[in-house]
Formats: sequence, C-alpha cells, structure tokens
Amino acid sequence: MRFFGAVLAIGLMGCGADETTPTLVAAGGLTTVDEASSHAFTLPAPNLDEEGLDLHLSGDIAFEAQFVTGPAEINPGLGPLFNNNSCNACHLRNGRGVPTVGGAALRSHMLVRVSLADGEIDPMAGGTAHPDYGFQIQDHANYGVEPEAKLEIIWEEVKGTYADGVEYSLRKPNLVLRKPDGSVVENTLTSLRQAPPVFGLGLLEEVPESLLMELADPDDKNNDGISGRPNQVWSKSLSKIVMGRFGWKSNQPDLYQQSASAYVGDMGVGSPGYPDANGDVEIEKEIVESAAFYARSLAVPSSRLSSARGRKLFKSAGCDACHTPVLSTGASKWEFLADQEFAPYTDLLLHDMGEGLADGRPDYEATGSEWRTSPLWGIGLTQTVAPGATYLHDGRARTIAEAILWHGGEGEASSTKFKEFSAADRTELLAFVNSL
Amino acid sequence: MNRTLIALTVLLSATACGDDNTQVTSQQFDDVEVIQGYVDNVMVPKYDLHAQNASALSVAVDAFIAEPTQVRLEAAQEAWRAARAPWELSETSLFGPVDVHGYDPALDSWPLNLVDLNTVLGESGELSQADFEALDVSLKGFHAVELLLFGPDGTRDVTSLSARELSYLSLAAKDIAKVAGLLSTSWTGGDAPYATVFRTAGEQGNTTYPSRFSAAQEITTGMAGILDEVANGKIADPYNERDQTLVESPFSFNSKLDFANNVRGAKTAYLGDFELAQKDGRGLSDWVAERDSALDTRIQAEFDTAIAAIEAIPAPFRDSILDDASRPKIKAAIDAINVVKDSVESDLQPMLRGE
Repeated sequence: MRFFGAVLAIGLMGCGADETTPTLVAAGGLTTVDEASSHAFTLPAPNLDEEGLDLHLSGDIAFEAQFVTGPAEINPGLGPLFNNNSCNACHLRNGRGVPTVGGAALRSHMLVRVSLADGEIDPMAGGTAHPDYGFQIQDHANYGVEPEAKLEIIWEEVKGTYADGVEYSLRKPNLVLRKPDGSVVENTLTSLRQAPPVFGLGLLEEVPESLLMELADPDDKNNDGISGRPNQVWSKSLSKIVMGRFGWKSNQPDLYQQSASAYVGDMGVGSPGYPDANGDVEIEKEIVESAAFYARSLAVPSSRLSSARGRKLFKSAGCDACHTPVLSTGASKWEFLADQEFAPYTDLLLHDMGEGLADGRPDYEATGSEWRTSPLWGIGLTQTVAPGATYLHDGRARTIAEAILWHGGEGEASSTKFKEFSAADRTELLAFVNSL
Repeated sequence: MNRTLIALTVLLSATACGDDNTQVTSQQFDDVEVIQGYVDNVMVPKYDLHAQNASALSVAVDAFIAEPTQVRLEAAQEAWRAARAPWELSETSLFGPVDVHGYDPALDSWPLNLVDLNTVLGESGELSQADFEALDVSLKGFHAVELLLFGPDGTRDVTSLSARELSYLSLAAKDIAKVAGLLSTSWTGGDAPYATVFRTAGEQGNTTYPSRFSAAQEITTGMAGILDEVANGKIADPYNERDQTLVESPFSFNSKLDFANNVRGAKTAYLGDFELAQKDGRGLSDWVAERDSALDTRIQAEFDTAIAAIEAIPAPFRDSILDDASRPKIKAAIDAINVVKDSVESDLQPMLRGE
C-alpha cells in the first residue's frame, strides 16, 4: 500500500518533546470548529457563505423532521414500513447510536440489511434481493400494518488476554430475526448495522478518485499485508458503476443517493426516483438535496492535544496504513470544500477485517469480510455526544479498545501489536485516538 | 446551529506545556464551582421538579377521569402546564442521557402521528397497558396528553371524551411520569449517574469532559442553540410562513409560555440558579462579573428584555402570526432573543476561551 505523502506533518510545540499539536492539518480543513461538547457534530461549517448557511439550516430542519403517517399537515409519508421516523433519531446528535433493538417505546438506532446467498445479483443493488424483504428489514410499521420482522440480539461475551496478562472481554451480537408469527427468518444473509456519524461527509465526497486509487493496492504489491480497494457501485444519477464512498461497506457513491436511499429504506418516505413500498413519492427532490447538503456542510470538530508518544504508537502499530491521517480535496463545485487538506483518518477503501467481524454478506464488490475503513475524526467525542454510544458496524464495541481488539484480517497485525503493548502504551495510544 | 464560529482553532489552545495533556491556559475558564453548581443547582433540581410535576399530572388526570368536572379538567390542564415548564426550561441542556435512551422523543415527539393516534382512539374495546406500550412514541408524550386535555382547537368539553380516550389519557400521563422519573434518575442514580460525569469535568480520567472549559462549552453552546431555535425556528418559522401548523403546543395555546421558558432555561444556565426550586449558586454569570461586570449586567438585561418581548406578543401566538397588528411584536421578540444569542456567541464564549 502506498502512503499518501506528507501525511504526518507533526508540529512540535517546543516546550517538551512529549506534547505536540494534533497535526498541522486541521481535522476538517477550513470546515473545522473548536467544539468539544455534545454539540460537536451539529455545527455548520464556519466557512459557508450566506447562501450555503441558509441551505444548511433548511437541511437541519429536514434532518430533524419527524415523519408521521399520512395524510397529515406536517411531515406526512412515514411508512408503511420503517425503522425510525427521522434522520437524527438514529444519527443521534449526528453521531453514533446505541445498539438497542426492539420495542416501540424505544425505536432502535440500528437496522438489518438482508439478501440471499444464491440467485441473480441485481447489478443496481449489489446483491440478490430477499423475495419478502428486499435488502433491509423494517421492524416498525404504521399502526395496523405488520412489521416485517422483530430483531433480537443475544450478546455473547468473548474473553481474551493482553500480552501482559490483563484480561478483557469482547461481546459479539447474535442476531435473531423473527417473523410476526414468531418463527425465525432462515436462509437469509443478514448484516446488523448501526448509524454512523454524518459530519464531514462533504470533504470525503470531494476527495478525487485518483487520490483514492493511489492509496489502493488490491493485490498487495508492496507486501505490507494491506490490500485496500474501492467498492464499485451503481450510481443512479449517472446510470453507471462508480467508486463507492459511503456506508459501512462503501456501497453508496454520493450523499444524495445515500440520503434518498435512507429516506425510503429507513423511514418509508419516498422521493422522486425512490418510491416507497406503496409506490408513493412523499417528499420533493429539494428536501433530499437539503438533507444531503446538511451532512455535506456540517463542521468537523478539531482534534485535541495528545502526547507525541501516542501518535508514534499509532504509527508503529500500523494503524495509519488504513486509517490514513490526511486526505485532500481538489476542485469542487462547493467552494467551502475545494482544495483542502484535512485529517479524517480513513482511506475510504475496503479491507478484509477477518472472520470475527465478517457479516458474510457481500455488497457489490465487498466480500462478507470486507469493510470500509471508518474515519476516526471526532471519535474521542463519541461519549460526549451520546453517552453509551458504541463502535463498529454493529455496535458491538463498547469502547475504542474493544474496537481495536476486534480488528482481524488486514488489521490483525495492528491489533496484535496493541495487545503486546504495555498497559501504559495502550493508554497512550487510546489517548491519541481519543484526541482525534 | 451557531452562525458565527471560529475556524482553525487547532493552534489556538495548544499553549500549555507539561505532560498532563490538558488545554488549560491561565485565562481559559476553569472554575470547578460553576460546573458543580450547574449540576447541583440547575440540572438535578430541574429534572427532579420535572419528575415531580409529571407525577402530579398523572394524579390530576386520574382525578379528572374519576370525576369529570370542569374544575378537575382545568386542574389537569394546569398540571400539564406545570409538567411542561421544567421540560422547556431544560431544553437549553439536552445533553447526556436524554437522547440516547429515547426520553426526548418519548416526551416531546412533534408532530404527533395523528392518523395513527385517531385510529387507535377510534377503535372499540378496552385499551390495555400492553396495547399502549406497543404503540410508537409519536402517539404519546406531552402533545398527546395536550390534545386529549385541551382538544384539537383548545376548547375541550368535559363530556366529550370517550371511555377509550380517557383510558388512553390516563396511560399517556402515567407514561410521561415514568419517563420523567427515568430521566431524573439517569442523572442521580444507577451505576454511572450523569451528574458525576459532568461534575468531574477536567479531572483525571474524565474523557467525556476532559476540561472544565469543555463543560462550560456544553452549557453555553446549549444556550446559544436553544436561543437560536426559539428565535429563528419555533417563532420565526410559523411567523415567516404565516403557517399555524408550524406552531408548537398549539392545542393548549401554550406556545408563548414554551418560548419564554426556553429562554428562561438559558438564563438559569447562565446564572447557575434555579428559582423554581429555590436554588441559588455560583454560575457563569458570577464568573463573568468578576472579569467584566458591565458585560454580565448587559447579558442579564438582554435576557430579561427577550423574555418581556415574548410576553408582549398578543396571545394566542397561533393567531398573532396572521394578525398584522401583532406581527411587529413577534418580530421584536425574534430580534430581542437574537441579541442575547449574539452576546453568548460573540462575548461570553470568547471570554471562556480566554480571548
């Protein structure tokens, strides 16, 4: 895997070798804000112009809008089947959710993707649709309508030991899908997903494809054990296969398609080109555009101070081989995103993460054990934004340490090094990740 | 939703030396008493009062159902307003457990899912606790109880509620009391009371609030956020659109009180006091006054002006937005709230940063 140049521009502050600025590259480039409270993911990019800010604020309203069963004076269109009734009901304060499922009183922040192992693959969906459920289970429904299935998670604790003898315990979700009659859904590929944070996505959307291709090394020609590659997915707007960027398996090409798919898939709210289960279109294209623009124009919280040692450990464990510290944008039709360096700590590429994390459900080019490198920016604010929020695609990791320990496959060497670190070094490394 | 924020601050706060990884500079906010006072004198008593008043609402509703008289209906309506008040006062600080456990949507889902709610209420037969619990939260909470107690047009007739509606009302009020109790307990009880997380801001090992400054940022960004939401959302949206469907708490004509209580909530956050529970402690206001007493005086006066401007809007708000004689007063209220918001963002927050 080739490294993107000038990645670790560390600025020593000159008052003791132990303390550095986070990097010389601000987390979100010119869209960075200095906010370390629960509002850290909710602020507009500070470099938006007046028109951009107006669009952002209307997107904010769209993102918070709670849909209800139609006909209704405000926000009709929920259902007939859905997972939740507003964007921010899962993306809590624009961050992660908590892995609770089932029960109407607390709508879950999670959903289950499904498909069949065999059958003709839909080239515009990247898998074989389940004849009853399509590609997603909606576990809620309008009153009087039967939800598709109920989710049940049975957590299984998996014990382990660090090299220094300290014990830890990881938990793994075992998902049970029950039909309304109580029987278990069988012969179905499933993948439990939690909502990811939605800030900074405009910058990620604007990273030139050529830069990501430079980072890719599908055949591991440099023999570092890391073989990142982009997903190749269907673009509805371009009617062709393009590079995937968003979603846990990078199966969405752009923020508009991501947003429109979420409106209809997660809330049953149809938009032009994305009708709901009844064939209805309930919101205009402009609403989807404003919600997509909201995510595109949210500020990125700045990183905080950490020790130089933590950063060195991050590098020495090879974390930065996939969690690429710095990316850049090129020219953009969005002036506030153009020509910037920023520090998301992702390469946006798919990597084999081993059997432990595998969902066994291919999605376009992504195999059942491949996942897109998740950005690490703002990760240290996760608990401030939503106490109890969890990490990884299915929310299994209760802490960042657990998330690291789950890394297998191409990430195995790094998690092994983490296990071999002294307790003090583990603390330093975690402090560094928490400073992002 | 701050309109004015400072970019590129990575380099700003990195002035401390030493190996303790903190960002504290000599001028930056670092006042333990203010942060602990915010928990002890504002957050905990506010949620405690909310839980008490929500229980009282449930009692008043059941008393009305037992004997449906006009007097008891009005008592239940007053109890609804009393339970609503601490919630609106607390919207300046919607951080911590209120979101993650779903307490906010359980209490304050808006708009109501009226189609589904009317279907449920229109069905025959008894409504069991289990039936109620299976319903989505968008059919419950303050606004469901408000609709049943006040009627869709604010003129509820004592005899107009069906047996099923009455049992729904009872269950919905009990549900509010239950959720309000859980919310209060999430700050003070259990294995990890959130009061402790916030009180220990800046202490070794607290990664949620690694500095007292970050805790102060929590308070002040919350203040700016609710002021912005009231001025430029809750009031401005129906005003600009001349659209009554966008008005908050329309059944009870409680909108003005909701708005004023949102602003009062931000003021309590600033003062570190909570008058309704006779709490008076050291707050951000005191910290500011020690550095710039004129600024503190000005911010307090701006709060009072904003609250008075909301109160000066002719009631009910949902009619005033369509009334040309009343509209200038609405505009004046929007402007007055924005004045405080700007002071929080342009004066208070920079001072906390040590600028």
